[in-house]
Amino acid sequence: MRLRYLLSLPLLCVVLWGQDPALKDTFVQAKALWATQGDREGATTRFDTVVARLTSKVASLEPEWTQVLCESYNWLAVLDDRSAKDRPRAQVRLQALLDLNPDFELDRALTSRRLVNLYDRMKGERFTLVKLSCQPEGGRLLVDGKPAVVLPRKFLPFGTRKLAYGRPGHAPSELTLELGPHEVKSAEFKLVRTASTITLYTQPSDVEILLDGQPLGFAIGKAGPEAAAITQALGLRPEDLSAPFIIPELAPGKHRLELRAPCFRTRILELGADLASPPADHTLEPFRMAPSKGALSVSSAWPGGELFLSGQSRGLLPVINSPVCSGPYDLLVRFPGGGFSQRITLEEDKALILEARPKPRLAFLGLEEGEFTGRARFLNQLETIGDRLQPLAFLAPRPGELPKEALARLKASREAELVLTARPIQDKVVHRVELVIATLEGEEERLIVKPLEQDPLGSLTARLNAVPPVQRPGLGVAFLDLASEPGPWVLSAPEPALKAGLLIGKSVHSVQGKSLASTQELQQRIQTAKDSLSLAQEGAKATLPLQMEALEIPLGSPSLCYPAVLAQLRLQYAGAKGDEANLIKLNLALALMQFRKYDKAIELLRDTRLSTVRGVSQGTVDFHTGLCFLYLGASYQSEAVQAFRQALKYPQATLLGPDGPLVAPLARQALEDLK
Amino acid sequence: MLVPSPWFRLTAALLCALPVLAQVQPQDAELAERLYRSGERAYAAKAYKEALDTWGQLLQTAPRSDFAPMALLRLARHQVEVERKPDAAMPILDRLRSEYIKSPEAAEGLLMRGLLLARQARRPAELKDAMAEFNRVLDLFPDARARGEARLHLGRAWRDQGQLGRALQQFIDAFRLNAGSPVVPQAMLEAAETLDLMGDLPGCLQMLQRLRVEAPQSPEAVEATWRMAVRVKHRLQKPPFRNEGPWPTGLTKWLKTPTLLMVAPDGDLLIFQNDLDRTFRLHGSDLVQQGPSAPGTRVLINTPTSFWMVSKTGLVREDAVAAQPLGVLGAVSGAALDRWGNLWVADAKTPAISVFAPDGTARTMASPTANALAPLPTGGVVIAADADRKLLFLDGDGQPRTIVPYGKDLPAPFRYVTALASDGVGQVAALVDGGDYGEGVVLFGPDGSVLRQATFKSLGVNGRITSLALDHSGGLILCDRRNDLLIRLN
Repeated sequence: MRLRYLLSLPLLCVVLWGQDPALKDTFVQAKALWATQGDREGATTRFDTVVARLTSKVASLEPEWTQVLCESYNWLAVLDDRSAKDRPRAQVRLQALLDLNPDFELDRALTSRRLVNLYDRMKGERFTLVKLSCQPEGGRLLVDGKPAVVLPRKFLPFGTRKLAYGRPGHAPSELTLELGPHEVKSAEFKLVRTASTITLYTQPSDVEILLDGQPLGFAIGKAGPEAAAITQALGLRPEDLSAPFIIPELAPGKHRLELRAPCFRTRILELGADLASPPADHTLEPFRMAPSKGALSVSSAWPGGELFLSGQSRGLLPVINSPVCSGPYDLLVRFPGGGFSQRITLEEDKALILEARPKPRLAFLGLEEGEFTGRARFLNQLETIGDRLQPLAFLAPRPGELPKEALARLKASREAELVLTARPIQDKVVHRVELVIATLEGEEERLIVKPLEQDPLGSLTARLNAVPPVQRPGLGVAFLDLASEPGPWVLSAPEPALKAGLLIGKSVHSVQGKSLASTQELQQRIQTAKDSLSLAQEGAKATLPLQMEALEIPLGSPSLCYPAVLAQLRLQYAGAKGDEANLIKLNLALALMQFRKYDKAIELLRDTRLSTVRGVSQGTVDFHTGLCFLYLGASYQSEAVQAFRQALKYPQATLLGPDGPLVAPLARQALEDLK
Repeated sequence: MLVPSPWFRLTAALLCALPVLAQVQPQDAELAERLYRSGERAYAAKAYKEALDTWGQLLQTAPRSDFAPMALLRLARHQVEVERKPDAAMPILDRLRSEYIKSPEAAEGLLMRGLLLARQARRPAELKDAMAEFNRVLDLFPDARARGEARLHLGRAWRDQGQLGRALQQFIDAFRLNAGSPVVPQAMLEAAETLDLMGDLPGCLQMLQRLRVEAPQSPEAVEATWRMAVRVKHRLQKPPFRNEGPWPTGLTKWLKTPTLLMVAPDGDLLIFQNDLDRTFRLHGSDLVQQGPSAPGTRVLINTPTSFWMVSKTGLVREDAVAAQPLGVLGAVSGAALDRWGNLWVADAKTPAISVFAPDGTARTMASPTANALAPLPTGGVVIAADADRKLLFLDGDGQPRTIVPYGKDLPAPFRYVTALASDGVGQVAALVDGGDYGEGVVLFGPDGSVLRQATFKSLGVNGRITSLALDHSGGLILCDRRNDLLIRLN
């Protein structure tokens, strides 16, 4: 007998080895110890180990492991029965076996007749034998609503038992049995077919199945030996395919079957009406999904960006022609200061090229303590404000973190450029909430909102979304709108424009061959033009190149949020070069002047050098430097004088923009006042 | 060590507690807010007495409340805007300034006080107190909304004092540092006009254009439109005058001896018809009678809100029943109202200009005998002195800033100026006669240079022209009393 078990050991090893090698090893060793060495103690210890490990997770055991556990109980009962000291424990083992699986049949070759009789008696005291007949086979049996293995002989506990048998494509059947001691009952199920079923396999698994556009689920897992016949013809192994996915009730008529999986080309199959009627079980050819990829390139003028696709890092920028599975992604580039995010869809065999410009990150630190009506609604509006912000990336508060803690964390980690805090104003009844938007450097704006308003954050959202430009395309020509003229009238123009044929004192009646009525219309055409514009005047035509004209940001504007403007400019500066970088520095200084941080503004202005001399240019920089020194007080008078004198060297320099007021008369007056 | 007695300790404790007791109690604050709101409700319903009483009660019962300065500001504003009693507002504003200087309302109070003081000023030197208040707003309230307006008025004060550079600084700062504020269009318009006065015509035009783009719906944009148009037409394009014929087109013999013309601030033409002894407003093609009967009217005068007439009997206001005598002046040849409210009157038989202050007092200003007079936007006037054969551009103090001999820069000199007209941008049109030049019109720039000119002979004008006006489209309207019509030159 021992030899027989010794021979069966290799087969058992093969079956169990792939799952939990150590435990299976223990189980096989236990059997071998008894079969080859007669070591009862050693075998018992190892079987006990197996039982201890498996009973702790008995509810989630797979059928093979349930079988191992049952066998272990069987073995332990046999081994205990061989020792007079341990014999009483054999009955406990059998009881545990019955609790686990009353359908388990003791190995009669291994177990003594006495133990078998004891086991049958114990079973008869709690269970009734039910003889099952299920037609057609392959269905699913439920006993009292719980899945059960379909066996011809099944032992069920005494009492009223509800049995249900069902199979895809068939009408389910139910019956109720009253079970008592010393009885043998029969249960016969004969199902009636109602519809066709479709069974399909996919390669690989994890493929979403849709029928007529409705998602049915995913083909998951691996196919078992039942798929061997199908895979053999394709030169595949069963485990290469997913577990069978069954479409249970195929309604009469034609259908459209769709299979989707990330990184694979979507497959669509039209199912003919003959599959649905007459009702039958159909197994389709396995679906082999073809890979689908595109190429993604992301670069940025800003240094240090790291690319993430739907949360997965794809390395530092630049990323060039990286093969990426086609499909939708949440693209995120994290920069040392700021972030860039975009929802993208990569198409098969196509290249997507992106230039990432970081956005300042706004971290909401939370709504401080203080109860008021509408708090939950208001908090929700604050937490979802990010959905309404285009130029900012929004960071929601961390659960359970106090605003002060969050601020300290952000200051240390520099994970955000802007912070938003909300504080209920403690009046007798809270009707107002103070919102504070601040940079980590301390420039802040406060505004008071009424949380019960329809959209209390509307104004803040609009201001946060407003980003003033620091440049705009232009022609360098001054135009006027005159009622007596058919189009914009040329007041002045630089030398190159005159050489190109533009006439001063004449109106422009068409641009690019299309008529033109006003300067605003001209500005719109300039915005959409590429490199140059062709202007027509009476008796003259001129093609003028477009050039970027420097602008100052508006100051004191209620439609701008200046901490956000500062954060935007700081990020823009990180990715800018040459005159553009210097122009951003000038505007950063202006924004700092808005916060009366004249010393910091001077720091910026001091090393700002613009190569231009017309419009917003070096003279503008020098004039603002002089103003900052003036604001710092009498001790900096000589520096102010020097700056204003410097500004006078640029007679064409202006404030605000190319058509703004000249700096020179203002600098002259400032010098006069300083005398 | 000296141990204080229990009585001393009690007294000391009470003394220490006094400031705390004097603080506004919560119930006082609540009462103050209710009183303030109650006053607001009554005021909105135009129950002014009830509102003023309620706010007065607030000031008595809770003078330390945050609502006290708000109430004071409302009281002052009521005196100015509704009662039209600025003198009554001043003590209220004084209290606001002295007792509540730290309150946010103090900024607006100081601004209002400055405006009232500026309004009381009768000459540039009297603007100092007003300017001090505007400067206080700027110095003490770095975040106040009133700053923009304070800068605007400070700029105007500097301009009135002839300090154009400083005025320009303030105007530019008013719109540069207060983007989106209602003060922006006003400040831009003032800046544009100041730039022109400083001789920067392109800068002025660009500023006006910017104003039209940035605030197209504002009244200032409407002003900017015509101010830009007339400057470009007269000073840059300068086309030769062309007779467009009767104006409005096709209307002849439709007036009853028109003798005087004037363009009102809104661009409408005012016409005095001698046979009807009345002034009429021409709006589009509608002629509407305006003001009382004033036989023998010699001069029409623009005022900020209406117009006046100077007749044989004296000054006739549009809304007055009787004429106000103007002393011994019997041959009034021109008159103008300056920005201080002083009425300048020229008499063809008197070698001086009489200036009548708003309080009725009169003074004379040495001047050649003026045959015609027209106001200038700088605050002065331009006079024509036929005896000296000169045009004199006088400043606000009556001092000549520019003198233009008759005929300068013309092909031939003229001898007489029959009438003068000016527009709001400093251009002066003269109806001339005599000499080799003969009858015609000459248009002068603010600096006295000839911009455009034409003889009636060259234009084919044959009537008897007695008056002229510069319209807002760059045209010149002539008044032909013989043919009972108007003629437009373009």
